Amino acid sequence: MTVQSTGEAPSLSQSRRLFAVLSDHRVLVSLVALALLPWLLPSKALAVNVLIYGVVVMGYNLLFGYTGLLSFGHAAFFGTGAYLTGIAISRWGLPWFAAVPLAIVASTVLAALIGTISTRTRGIYFSMVTLALAQLVYYLALQASSFTGGENGLRGFTVDRINLLGWQVNFLDPVNKYYVLMAFAALALWVQSRILNSPFGAVIEAIRENEQRARACGYDVERCKLIVFMLSGAISAIGGSMSALHLSIVPLDSLHYQTSGMIVMMVLLGGARSFFGPFIGAATFLILEDVVSLWTPHWQIVVGAIFVVFVLFLPKGIWGTLLDLLPFARERR
Amino acid sequence: MSTALLQAEGIGRRFGGFTALEGISVSFAAGELTSIIGPNGAGKSTFFNILSGTLSPSLGTLRFKGRELNGLPQHRFVHQGISRSYQITNIFPDLSVHENVRVAAQAMHVSYDIWRRRADLVELSERADAALTAVGLIGKRGELAKFLAHGQQRALEIAIALVSEPELLLLDEPTAGMGPEETKDMVALLERLAEKRTVLLVEHKMKMVLGLSQRVLVLHHGRLLADGKPEDIRANAEVRRVYLGQSEGYG
Amino acid sequence: MDLSLIIMQLFSGIALGAVLVITALGLTIVFGMLGVVNFAHGALFMIGAYAGLYLASLTGSFWWGLLLAPVLVGAFGMLIEFVLVRRLYGRSIDDPLLLTFGLSYILVEGVRIVFGSDGIPFPTPSQLIGVVDLGVGFFPKYRLFVIALVAVVLLLLWLMLEKTRVGLIVRAGARDPQIMRVLGVDIGKVWLAIFGLGVGLAALGGVLAGPMRSVNPEMGTLVLAEAFVVTVIGGLGSIVGAVVAGLMVGICISMVALFAPEMATIVMFALMAAVLLVRPQGLFGLKGRA
Repeated sequence: MTVQSTGEAPSLSQSRRLFAVLSDHRVLVSLVALALLPWLLPSKALAVNVLIYGVVVMGYNLLFGYTGLLSFGHAAFFGTGAYLTGIAISRWGLPWFAAVPLAIVASTVLAALIGTISTRTRGIYFSMVTLALAQLVYYLALQASSFTGGENGLRGFTVDRINLLGWQVNFLDPVNKYYVLMAFAALALWVQSRILNSPFGAVIEAIRENEQRARACGYDVERCKLIVFMLSGAISAIGGSMSALHLSIVPLDSLHYQTSGMIVMMVLLGGARSFFGPFIGAATFLILEDVVSLWTPHWQIVVGAIFVVFVLFLPKGIWGTLLDLLPFARERR
Repeated sequence: MSTALLQAEGIGRRFGGFTALEGISVSFAAGELTSIIGPNGAGKSTFFNILSGTLSPSLGTLRFKGRELNGLPQHRFVHQGISRSYQITNIFPDLSVHENVRVAAQAMHVSYDIWRRRADLVELSERADAALTAVGLIGKRGELAKFLAHGQQRALEIAIALVSEPELLLLDEPTAGMGPEETKDMVALLERLAEKRTVLLVEHKMKMVLGLSQRVLVLHHGRLLADGKPEDIRANAEVRRVYLGQSEGYG
Repeated sequence: MDLSLIIMQLFSGIALGAVLVITALGLTIVFGMLGVVNFAHGALFMIGAYAGLYLASLTGSFWWGLLLAPVLVGAFGMLIEFVLVRRLYGRSIDDPLLLTFGLSYILVEGVRIVFGSDGIPFPTPSQLIGVVDLGVGFFPKYRLFVIALVAVVLLLLWLMLEKTRVGLIVRAGARDPQIMRVLGVDIGKVWLAIFGLGVGLAALGGVLAGPMRSVNPEMGTLVLAEAFVVTVIGGLGSIVGAVVAGLMVGICISMVALFAPEMATIVMFALMAAVLLVRPQGLFGLKGRA
């Protein structure tokens, strides 16, 4: 794999340079792509969903793709982000700019609790324990119906306009809604990119590559895992807040194992361990759902089969596989 | 002589009902290259794992520069000045050679910073390059570690251990699985390393150990059988008896 | 509170726990041998319940359903191992987990296509309708039968593991997979059989649970979480652990149901969290595995 610049065709080295520039400005590139999304997809509703789940999956990717921890309970943080946003607006009458940070903080605290227990375990145990603890959150929300609305989900709040520094934006207009929510996504993308470029970003990759060696190097592996678990939960909670603002309801299913599983599917379809993979995965999953459900209500069987094919033959997902095919993109994520 | 750098007192270790190590008391002076040898199952690896904090002893105390290490978690050992390599190559396969060493250097300074750009930590990067130069891998710095040859991966692991600038370097069979050529390079590297720091080796290859070390410890059935200069060890009747018929031990 | 009521509730807990034990055993045996956690285990439990129901109505007898469903679903499990899971040995430990998760999606939706999305009642076999007087109170016959049957299955499993050559291989292999190669055992065949056994146990759990729970395509989700809780508490790969933890969780759930019904589902997760804080490897787990 020694690719020195000597014997290279000029066009190849040019595309390599272009690619390097693009990945150095990956937040900007993502935002341009997301800004165009509503005009590329068949419906604005689909675009909003890609935006929301893209953020959720991106947060999850910090844990699964970059740290190598396969959690099956990320719905807990997405759902808590959504519920707390809705509850803060409907029950406590808070404005959105207070409700959203509150929801993110609450989800991070929850991630600290679940993380403290689950990061004590390793390997397959971790997946099982995160699944079980997330189901615990689900059943708690189901039981605390006076607070959460129980089985019917959280209803009774509407976000029809958003106050942006004194400027009232009509939030019922799908285009306005999309671009306001995109500001949240921009924040999440920026934070994620900073984390990945930071010293801590190097530590989590080292833990993924070789936990034992990372410990021998002097890293407190358990504490690092807990921190990344919390960061991941916090970013996914941003997506949860976006979902609550978008739908004006929070279905109980936001907390369910099915949602955790969907997040896992999306990251694998798009490509774990890559910056753009989560949005590509979310878009692929949601478009598949849209298209397949046109001719059968049983779209899940098709999506499940496609997922199995990916696990078997394309474990790097769409974006990861594409990067492997492009000679100038190799070894750069 | 000043106080010992590392001091082990009555170290013992049991695994369930099995006693792997019993009553080991030795101290290591600064600046020496010491080797631990012994037949398979003698307890070398267990002892080594205790010295590096990977295992905790069931009995006895461990002191480094006079400070007791018992109960300290493994990741704190590096910060005390004790760094190790593993018998089976233990690197970060999907990271570049340079990043393998840089991330190890970073452990000494910053773990939890999620906001600064790591590209700005130029000094760490330079220190990593210096360690790579020391082990002769600087030409491979951009490659993924998994694509290196076996001998190069062993050298990379030493660079990872070296970059924390340890006062005590623990190397577990650094020539394991190497051919004669690679072994020769490694021995030369070990000699250079030992000029400036205290090195402790576990080795299988008897001839190499006797040529290289200033002091040799022989473990047998979890006990310390002999401790002395290489020539004493060579002349020791008990050591000869233990190794008799274990010709592979003379490698 | 009435003492006899508590004793009756204890029996209910044992019956509930017995089904959990059978289900978790399937999961834990497969893990011990293959190092794979089957995320489709809950879905296969659900398939077992549907298969039992279908076969019972086809043959007109619950007993044929009880006998045939685990065998047929177990054979289906072997097919899954042979066609899909086998390709992933030697890859990341996450891959079989992801694969079986995707599979559970397919299975659940497949059942919805064939049997519809609504729950179906699973009639209790006529011989087991009614109650028996246990001296302290009346207890449903069917639940007593479940406890007895699970005890018999456990005994058979124990005899197989302790007294037969196959059992020897399984026990040795669970401790050290290398030993299989030394013994010259065709490891592929053993894996196939063990995976089939694990899935068969899930299906047996499904049939047994049928008359106690309603049968619907989503029933596997809660079962998967329950089986995970039990194996995590007992220690993954430990057969004794699965039995002890299964009964413990079952009794815990029904006891809490007596005093605070709304907390019944939640309590097992809390129990798991508590165990993990004290012993991350589970009650009977080996330390290195956790």
